[in-house]
Parts: sequence; C-alpha cells; structure tokens
Amino acid sequence: MGKAKDKSGPLARRPDNSAFKQQRLPAWSPILTANTVLPFFYLLALICMLLGVWLLLTVQSTQEIKLDYTELGNCDQCFQLRKNVSYAAQTCSCKVEFSIDRAFKGDVFFYYGLKNFHQNLRRYMDSRDDEQTLGRKTKLKNPSSYCEPFAKDVEGVPIAPCGAVANSMFNDSFTLTYHPSRSRTIPVPLLRKGLTWYTDKNVKFRNPKTDNLTLAAAFEGTRQPLYWQKPVYDLDPHDPTNSGFINEDLIIWMREAAFPNFKKLYGILNRADASFTKGLPKGNYTIDISYNFPVQYFQGRKEVVLTTLTWFGGQNYFLPIAYLVTSSLILLMAVVLTLAWWKFGKDGKNMKE
Amino acid sequence: MYTTSEHLSAFAGEGLRTLALAYKDLSEEYYQVWKKKLHYVSTVIDNREEHLAVLYEEIEQGMKLLGATAIEDKLQEGVPETIACLTLADIKIWVLTGDKLETAMNIGYSCNMLRDDMNEVFIISGLAQLEVQQQLRSAKEHILGLSRVSSTGDVAKGEMFAEDSVFEEAIIAQCALVINGLSLAHALEPQLEHTLLDLACLCKTVICCRVTPMQKAQVVELVRRHKRAVTLAVGDGANDVSMIKTAHIGVGISGQEGMQAVLASDYSFAQFRYLQRLLLVHGRWSYFRMCNFLAYFFYKNFAFTLVHFWYGFYCGFSAQTVYDQWFITLFNIVYTSLPVLAMGLFDQDVNDQNSLRYPSLYKPGQQNHLFNKRQFFLCTLQGIVTSFLLFFIPYGAFSVMVKEDGADLSDHQTFAVTIATTLVIVVSVQIGLDTHYWTAVNHLFVWGSLIVYFAILLAMQSDGLFGIFSSNFPFIGTARNCLSEKTVWLAVLLTTVVCILPGLVVSFLRVDLFPTLTDKVRHLQKSRKKQGPQEQNLRRIRRTSSRHSAYAFSHQQGYGELITSGKNMRMSTLSSTRSLEGTAQSSSWIENILKRKNEVACISPERPDPPDSHRDFRGSADRLK
Repeated sequence: MGKAKDKSGPLARRPDNSAFKQQRLPAWSPILTANTVLPFFYLLALICMLLGVWLLLTVQSTQEIKLDYTELGNCDQCFQLRKNVSYAAQTCSCKVEFSIDRAFKGDVFFYYGLKNFHQNLRRYMDSRDDEQTLGRKTKLKNPSSYCEPFAKDVEGVPIAPCGAVANSMFNDSFTLTYHPSRSRTIPVPLLRKGLTWYTDKNVKFRNPKTDNLTLAAAFEGTRQPLYWQKPVYDLDPHDPTNSGFINEDLIIWMREAAFPNFKKLYGILNRADASFTKGLPKGNYTIDISYNFPVQYFQGRKEVVLTTLTWFGGQNYFLPIAYLVTSSLILLMAVVLTLAWWKFGKDGKNMKE
Repeated sequence: MYTTSEHLSAFAGEGLRTLALAYKDLSEEYYQVWKKKLHYVSTVIDNREEHLAVLYEEIEQGMKLLGATAIEDKLQEGVPETIACLTLADIKIWVLTGDKLETAMNIGYSCNMLRDDMNEVFIISGLAQLEVQQQLRSAKEHILGLSRVSSTGDVAKGEMFAEDSVFEEAIIAQCALVINGLSLAHALEPQLEHTLLDLACLCKTVICCRVTPMQKAQVVELVRRHKRAVTLAVGDGANDVSMIKTAHIGVGISGQEGMQAVLASDYSFAQFRYLQRLLLVHGRWSYFRMCNFLAYFFYKNFAFTLVHFWYGFYCGFSAQTVYDQWFITLFNIVYTSLPVLAMGLFDQDVNDQNSLRYPSLYKPGQQNHLFNKRQFFLCTLQGIVTSFLLFFIPYGAFSVMVKEDGADLSDHQTFAVTIATTLVIVVSVQIGLDTHYWTAVNHLFVWGSLIVYFAILLAMQSDGLFGIFSSNFPFIGTARNCLSEKTVWLAVLLTTVVCILPGLVVSFLRVDLFPTLTDKVRHLQKSRKKQGPQEQNLRRIRRTSSRHSAYAFSHQQGYGELITSGKNMRMSTLSSTRSLEGTAQSSSWIENILKRKNEVACISPERPDPPDSHRDFRGSADRLK
C-alpha cells in the first residue's frame, strides 16, 4: 500500500492513496424505498399470522388442570397447623380430589407450583455454594461465606448443602390415585427421575467422592440444613443415584425461578404401567398430599398442575396471541404506510435543491 | 521620475505589488548626531510621536530614486470557487488582511466577494472615534432603510430588526463593508463593538484591510463572544497565528510563508481550496458520524440497562440482575462496541462528490439538526420502549414455559440468556438499519460481533470452564439447554420484530413524507450509480471584472502609526469580561482569511496592456464558463 516505499523526495509526506485511508472503500448504501419496505411489512405480517395460528392450534391441543390446594378441602387443617412453627416436626397429610373430563393423551407431567415466592431475590440467589454442590471436599466442610447465615449451625458444624436456597427446599410430597369406579383405586405411578437438565444432573451437581464409603460416610462432619427433616444423603433411600446432592428434587429446586409465580416438575406419568399406557384416562382422581411447606409467611399459594405437553411446552397462550396481535398491528402499519406513500410520497423525491 | 511612476502605474494596473526604492548617502558624523537626537527624543515624555516624526522627516529628505520593483503574487488556484461554494453552504466569509484598501478591494472583486451589482459598499475609514461611530451608524441605517423599503412584510421597529435573526437573513441584500485598521481600532472599543458587529452581520461581505495581527485576533474574538457561531480562521503566515489560535478552528496553509501558521493550527494543508473539502466533506461527515454514534450509544445503553428497572417489580426490588455477570461485563466492550465503532469511522450519508456538489447539505450541521435535545429525547425514548418490550415479551412467554420434555424452562438463568440474546440481536439489527454505508469492515464487525457473542456464550457456559472456575461460571449448561428450544427462538423472533418495527416505520415515513436534502441527494445518488462519476461541476460564477486601482503608492500613512500608538495592543478589559449571549443566530458564520496576494493572474494567463484589459477579461470569463 505504499509503506514499503522509501520515504524521500518532495512527495515523501503525502498520505497513502489507498481506498481505506482515503475513505473510498467499496460499499453498499441501502436506502429505505417503498419497493423494499412495503413488501417486507406485508410479508412479515403474513409470517407472524401464520406462526400465531400454528402456535394457537398447538397450544389448544394441550390439556391442563390446576389445583390450588393451600386451603382446599381438608388441607385447610394442615394450613392452620403449619401456621405455628412449633408444630413443624409434626406431619400432616390431606386429600384433594379432582376429575378429568377428557382423557389426557400422551405424556402427562405433574408439577407443583408456588405463588408469591421470590426465588429471584438477590441475596437469596447469592446464598448458595456451587462448589460445595459440585462435591469439592474442601468446600464440603468449609462452605463459602455467601451462605451465611445458613453456612454453619449454632455449634459450628458446617451445613451441606449450605445456603438459603437449599434450606427452603419444597418438601410437600404427592401421591396420585385413580378411581375408575367407586370401589376400585389404582395408584398412578410417577417417574421421579429424569426430570432435570442433563447438565445439571451430571455436571453441575456431583456428590463428594465416596471411595468405597457409603454416601452417609462421605457427608461425615456435616449436618442437614435447619429446615430439613432428612439429611441430604437420605433424600432418596431407595436409589443411591438419586441421593445426596444429585437428588433430582433438590436440583430442580436449586434452579431458581425467574418470577415469583412458578412451577417445578415433580413427576412424569409412568406409562409403562398397563392402565396408563395412553395417558391419564378420564374419571376421578385424588391426590394425597404430605403437607409440609408453610406458605402463609409470604402470603403465598401452593398448587398442583397436571398437563400434557407439545413441542411448544404446556398451555402458554401468550406467544400465540402476541404473534397474532403483532401481525395485525404490522398489517395495519403496512396499510398506513402504503396509503401515505401512495398519496404523498411517490414524487416527493424528485425535487432537487 | 516620470518613467518610474509610469512603470508603477503599469505594474499596479496588472495588480502587482509595487515598491519604490530610493537611497541617500549619509556621513558618519551626521548619522551619529542624528542617532543621539533619536535616542534623546525617544525618551521624551510628552509629544514623543511628534518629535519622532519630525526627526524621521529630517533624515528622509533628499533621497534619490532608484527605481521600482513589482512583486507578482498570485492567488492560489481555486480560491474564488471555494469561496463561492462556502457561501452557498451558508458560511459567512470575512477577509482580514494587512494590505492596503485598494489591494484588498481588488482581491475582493477578483474572488467575487465584492460585486459590482452590490447595492452599497460601505468604506469605514474614519480616524477619530466619533467619526467612525457616525460612519457605522449611518451605514447601518442605510441598510435598514433599504430593506425597509424593499420588504413587503410588516414593518417592524428598528430595534427589532437588529435583534431578529430572521430579518437579518432577509436584509442581507448585497451590501459590503470595508474597514481599515485605524478605524477598526476605534470600532473595537467597547462602546462601538456591538454596532460594528451588527453592521458586519448585516453585510454580505466584510473586508478589513490594514489590520495588525492583534486586531485579527480581536475581530475573531468579537464574533466568538457575541454570536452563537463557530469561527474558523485560515491563515498562512506568522501574522495569522494569533487569529488562528483565537478562533474555534484554526487552519494553517503551509507554503511560502513558513511553518508558523501550520504549527499553531488544528488543521493544515497546502492550498486554500482544500478548505472546501475539509468543511463540506470531512467536517460534515464527522458531524454526521458523531451524531449517529451518540444517538445509537444512548439507545443501546438505555435498552440494556432499563431492563433491570422493569425486573425490579418482579424481584422485590432487590437489585437482582437480569443478565449473567459476564454478559454485563462484555456487552459494551465486546459484543456491541465494534459495529458502532465501524459506523463512527466509515459511515457516509452522501458521497464526497455530492457533498461538494450540494453545499447546502452543510446546513443541518450548522443548525444542530442531527443531535439536539429533541433527538436525544427520541433516542432515549426508543431505548426505554425497547427495554420494556425486551423484558415483558419474554416475561409473558416464559412465566409458564416448560421444555419439550417437561423440564424447567422458566428459571432465571434461561430468562437471562434469552433476554441477553434478544438484546444483542435487536441492537445489531438496529445498527444495521442505522448504518448508511456498508463497507467490508462494517459487515465484518456486525456479523462478527454476533458470532463472537454466540461463541463466547457457549464457551462460558460450557462444562470445561465450569470445571476450572466453578463459582465464577454458575450458568453452566444454560445456553445449550435454552437455545435448543424452539419456543425460545420464537420469543426472540417476536421481540426482535416488535422492537425494530416502530423505528423502521418512523424512518420510512419521515423519508417518504418529509425528505430532507440529504434524503433527496441519497436517492439521486442511488439512481445515478450506474453512470460514471461525473466531475465536480461547480457552477462558475460569472466573474464581473471591474478594475480598481491597486497603486502601492498610497498617500496615506501606513500602519506604523497605528502600532506605535499602541491602540491595537491594548486588550480592552471591559469587553473581555462581558459575557453576552448574543443574538440568536440561525446561520453559523465562519471567518475566512484569504491569502492577500494579487488576483489578476487567475483571470488571464498573459499580461495584456491595460487598454486591452477589459476585452481580455470578458473573453476569459467566457472561456471559463
């Protein structure tokens, strides 16, 4: 480009005459003309409309049942019981009944939901130790200061898992039963594994290395969080791959929700069972709830959601409707622009100076 | 003697600078005596000037004429065209020169700053303050009287005329002001400077001749202080340095006169005509790029930051960030800095040939059209609305969203990644719409930034990095899980569409219904792109060639008097402490100081005899058309 030239002579200090330095780079200069903008708007309106309609049809094919069981039926007694913290050790169970009009075809997913529980509070979200749940030995006995005041108990014994997030883990449990007729009851089996993200279960959460010890021994020297009834290695006594830090309920709870009203997966219908190969048949159902999680402290509500899913997720009407609204707005704007261009703009450009 | 004066008239008739030389022999004793007298007189307290004058008169007697010399000093080429062009760009040009009145006026005529068809050329050459004041006042009233007669609108009071800038534009009916250094010294006094400034603003052209370097700076200072205008001073010699330093922008012409002006200036080049390119092309582009850059930067940052404001309502106002910490760090440095940098460096709304061809494209810069309070408010509003949509559309979509296999998708980390991705895409699309001139660098930076965003996102939320720095990268696995879901991409698409379209609608409507000159020229440019590049085809202004005498022989005194009187040296302290706002001026003025050399050579190449001169001028004026 001229750098190699020996700089001497009368033209030595002349700046480079390259396209880059003289701002002559070849370029594309698009301008907004009616030919490009108007068809684009119409096309976009069409696309949004198609997407909206498609999504709406997809969502309509899902089925959902929601039950707010905070004070429903005899759960009210449990609700009153849980108001008093001194009865926290007492178990309480209640029954909730519902019926399904149309069979739920396909996979059915069982969620528990909370309202008004701010898992997205900053101090709450900070109060965890990812290295401890990764199974690092150093951190097991020595949780990070972010977990304070849930890092050690009054005697100084470290808590595993530490922090407010783990401490407030949701501990209601549910059992679903199907009543095909008045006398018969069939328990509905729920798969309680395979609920989490692959990366969460296999990378982010790891138990401390056992080296031929039992899981309980691996957690020697730590104790359970203050609000828990069971230590972490006993979360699933039947399945060691679901116990300790890699317990799926714990992992699901530790993935903090973005908003105060959320739902988390509890179980998936086990369609291997003969009665439920096609999904949930219609009829009456009851849920036996072991009611532990107190919600009156934050004016929250608890609910249970049963839903079928499509590739689009569950019953989420927001996106389809938003697409349809957007497409109509775009169409409106396109019409306005076309009118404006037709009436005024067609020859406005040719005036010079 | 007669021969010499004939030669002198001949030289002056050709516009050469003439100098007459004479000599005298002095004996040593005479000189010593005179020198003692000089030394004595210079220490006298009263009437020193008179005594000195008498002494000088005594020695400068009885000299013998040697002859005369004439210096040809051409105006640089392209000067009149440049001045014409800049005048079309609404730039006021004043000439401050050290030459005599006649020479300066000749230069003015040859550059078409003064024309024969001007209504009036006011020459202020009073010697005493009162005289100068009277001349200024009468000139001003003359102009106002002329315009009052010719104006068809309402007749306003005389006071309002002077203050109303709109009227000033209407009044500028072809008057010129010529003032010489001595009178200028009086006119720059505090009591007269406003009158001078008002009168100068009413005239189309102002020429100050016989000014000292200090006065040049004072005139620039006067305009700077009282007018809301940007001043630019162009000079080539050491005597222009103070003026160059006083003006907002100083331009030095490097050439015969040495490097002082160049060293003191902000910009320097070798020929005056390059000023046209400096202002109309580079100055204009620079303003355009700067305004675009600023508006985009505010928009981008408001869109980025205000999402937290909306999230506050849902996180209990606990200042929880919506984004990943790393995204916040890298957003302004890595993901969005290069595209806007490329836009600020390379963007051109109109190419350089058209910038020169249509000088009135320069006006938006003068009138602050591209970035003022209103534009700032609009880009801020756009940022706020974008942040609102950026938050609430994903909020609506995510609050009950689950993955295809039922797993959680409405968690904070997924939400963060989605909003971050949407934000980067929206601002990239927006800068794509804002860029008017897509060079290869722009393409590289815009697409490259998007690719880098996804690369860094996937890298930071990968297993490897989490394994090394576990507590610093808590977002492990989120990008993979979230971006592989179709619902997330649908939400991103919807948000992008909704954020971008209002801006697009507004731009299209504005260009279609109210096209500015820039839009028209761009449109023209596009439709002419197929044709080859045309040469610069400035309109040649018909050179009216009236001759004025340019005798170097002046029977007036030079400006030695002025210097020794010290009037130009004192900076009047009163005027420097005044801080008036000045009248609201819609057009911006730039003072332009010419190289005050002769003008004739640019009209005709060979030297005609004076009687034939008229014919030749007309012929060459036709030739040049």
